[in-house]
Amino acid sequence: MSQTHAIESRTDTLTGTGIPSGRLGVWWFLASEIILFGGLIGTFILFRHGNPEWVAAAEHLSLTIGTINTFVLLTSSLTIVMAFAAVDKGDSRRMRTWLFLTILLGFVFLGIKAFEWSTEIGAGFIPSTGGFWSFYYAMTGLHALHVMAGIVINTILFISAVLDRLKPHEYRIELAGLYWHFVDIVWIFLFPLLYLA
Amino acid sequence: MAGEKAHPNYVAVWFWLVGLMVASVAISLFHFSESATVVVIFTIAVVKAVLVALNFMHLRFERLLIYSLAIVPLLLFFILTAVLFPDIASH
Amino acid sequence: MSDSVTGKAPPEAHPHHTDLGFWRTYVFSTDHKTIAKQYLAIGLFWAIVGGLLAYLMRWQLAYPETAVPGFGWVPEPHMVDGIIPPEFYNMLITMHGTVMVFFVAMPILLGAFGNFLIPLMIGAQDMAFPRLNMLSVWVLAFSSVVLLVSFFVPGGAAASGWTAYAPLSAKAVYTGVDWGQNLWIIALALEFASFLMGGVNFLTTAINMRAPGLSLFRLPLMVWMELTAAVLFLLSVGPLIAGAVMLLLDRLAGTSFFLPEGGGHPLLWQHLFWFFGHPEVYVIMLPGMGAALEILPVFSRKPIFGYRPIVYSTIAAGILSFVVWAHHMFPSGLDPRLAMPFSFTTILISIPFAIIVFAMIATLWGGSIRFPTPMLYALGTLAVFIVGGLTGIFNGSAPADIYIHDTYFVVSHFHYTLFSAVFFGGFAGIYYWFPKMFGRMMNETLGKIHFWLTFIFFNAVFFPMFFLGAGGMMRRIYNPLQYEFLQSLQPLNVFITYAAIVLFLGQLPFVVNFFWSLWAGKKAEQNPWEANTLEWTTPSPPPHGNFEAIPVVYRGPYEYSLPEVSEDWLPQDRPVEPRPVPAG
Repeated sequence: MSQTHAIESRTDTLTGTGIPSGRLGVWWFLASEIILFGGLIGTFILFRHGNPEWVAAAEHLSLTIGTINTFVLLTSSLTIVMAFAAVDKGDSRRMRTWLFLTILLGFVFLGIKAFEWSTEIGAGFIPSTGGFWSFYYAMTGLHALHVMAGIVINTILFISAVLDRLKPHEYRIELAGLYWHFVDIVWIFLFPLLYLA
Repeated sequence: MAGEKAHPNYVAVWFWLVGLMVASVAISLFHFSESATVVVIFTIAVVKAVLVALNFMHLRFERLLIYSLAIVPLLLFFILTAVLFPDIASH
Repeated sequence: MSDSVTGKAPPEAHPHHTDLGFWRTYVFSTDHKTIAKQYLAIGLFWAIVGGLLAYLMRWQLAYPETAVPGFGWVPEPHMVDGIIPPEFYNMLITMHGTVMVFFVAMPILLGAFGNFLIPLMIGAQDMAFPRLNMLSVWVLAFSSVVLLVSFFVPGGAAASGWTAYAPLSAKAVYTGVDWGQNLWIIALALEFASFLMGGVNFLTTAINMRAPGLSLFRLPLMVWMELTAAVLFLLSVGPLIAGAVMLLLDRLAGTSFFLPEGGGHPLLWQHLFWFFGHPEVYVIMLPGMGAALEILPVFSRKPIFGYRPIVYSTIAAGILSFVVWAHHMFPSGLDPRLAMPFSFTTILISIPFAIIVFAMIATLWGGSIRFPTPMLYALGTLAVFIVGGLTGIFNGSAPADIYIHDTYFVVSHFHYTLFSAVFFGGFAGIYYWFPKMFGRMMNETLGKIHFWLTFIFFNAVFFPMFFLGAGGMMRRIYNPLQYEFLQSLQPLNVFITYAAIVLFLGQLPFVVNFFWSLWAGKKAEQNPWEANTLEWTTPSPPPHGNFEAIPVVYRGPYEYSLPEVSEDWLPQDRPVEPRPVPAG
């Protein structure tokens, strides 16, 4: 812990880039995540282009549920960035509240998504039903795994904040936020791809 | 660690995001020509993503290195998709 | 002295690792040097497994469907009284490639060398994220266990080639392998996760934690190579991870991403695989060449020739490596319009590598060359790579490639490139940095015996394969004697097999040397090779925290035989004695 911190404080003063290591590391990770989802989304676009009849399958998705979930995720991006703003103001109590809301919204998103999947599966649309459904479950499933990972990260931060152990590492809220916003951006593209187009 | 950096008006950004979301849903409900709808809703998606990246992820305060970490993978995504096009989409 | 420059003594520099206890010191360690040794152990273990798999394949090719000496004990479904059935042969081919690329090359060249050298060469106390580093090696260990388990599940291990081409890999009925292939996908996904964490660590560390004065163009070339490799890996592996998810869904959830009967595209897998697979070749190759590039100037006692051109060439090769992948797919039914541009980029990418090779040769020119084992291996890397690189040009041109691609010509070509990086480069690195890693010298006589056995018998194994390929022997065939036109080539196959056995046994001197030196080798001095880079300015082995004080760097890493100093080397952190100042 002290080691990481010592290094963190060194990087700004020495010949480094001036970007704190944590933030730089997260961005490197996000770069690889962009091309991961890029590969999946690009493939979907190509298949969708080659199979115009998939639009009929897409009609079965609930636009209402999709829109609500988009709203939930967009709002959770706001709450986590507000938590970070609270860190900058030195307001740990408000930071905890915003972080808690973010976790809650993450769960709401997953709950709605689970409900949506179960209605679709109940209606007989499973991954092997057809090409569109294969991609639908693969893309939303991979995204949901990322949401879960984000919830775990945020929860760890929240618990250590409640236990009053986060103080020297509060900048980690920003790092968790970067990842969470990325997951939000992926959804910003999945939403029109699956529900609107 | 954070400190000196300015904070954009996050709530205003959020209003924009929600407004754009509503707009894209509305456009998809009115049945314009299909290609026009596709162009508009994906333009809106790109605008939303850029809003999130610039403001919530503070990309607008970052240096060239971080910018390139966001842009280079996007370029690769375009290359990959373009090269795959003849093999996958037109078969 | 350095203290006054950095202003403050680093808090972790004074070792207090003695109170950490056994588990934290050797097993769950966050020290990059220990983690590097763990990677090395994993890589060397799998190298033995991969070698044994190769031995089994070679026996089958020399004496098809006869009992393999020493392997009568393998139980029924796999082998029958020591005889290799076709299904098992497919498994051998698949797992040999998988093991060698993902579980030998990457752990040794990136995991071990990258982890050990990056902090030491840039004058840092550790990696930027020590705990992430520990996690990465443990994820790799877990991934190794998954891959190992896959040999023992019903149906055996994966058998669809190391490239896992769909639809062969997408349905269990096609290969008869069910969970073996699923575990293969899972093991690879874990392996990718491990090296993603490692790559993030490498890049952040090398960019942000360089010692004062160590600008990018004063970095040792090994660091440049590891960095480029990490960037290539991070930016190319994503689509394959997505592809792996899709492949697993095809196998488990009945989807048809890659199955033509359900509307999928087998070619899609090949694209996703090679979009990663080609940069991956350089992920492996660059660090191997990096080791050679470090060693050549040290034992030529000369500055490296063309430091900047080498760096620029590396970057150029890295960028180009993202747009050459379809040359692996020329015979696959790829859209013919793609063949021409990909031929062009492939031929283009030989230019930066040619520059690097010429720089290596020019470094030797006029040097006072010494030939200890690391230098022999560095020269071996160079010599073997030249053959691999030149034969690659044939493969790069689509019309030529379509004839030779699925033959032993390609097998030989990629062994010349990858064996040069992984084994020659890897051994060069191990012999060179062993004193720093373990604090003891390796035995020179055994080292030289090992080198000559490896060098001679490597060529004896793989050079004849060019003839086999030109003669039309197909890659991955089970029994060459089934083909009339291959009968006359069979003596060559027998010769190769015996050469391969000697090559495998020729590694014994290394094993003996490694373990003997570990305990009984001569104690290593701080700088036994009289080299300039920062890792030689700290004790062998370096203490926890690496440096007494963070070094200050005054020059590039290859300043040998300078007229200004009496010795023929000048460490990066030593200020040159000021000329006698007149008065005052």
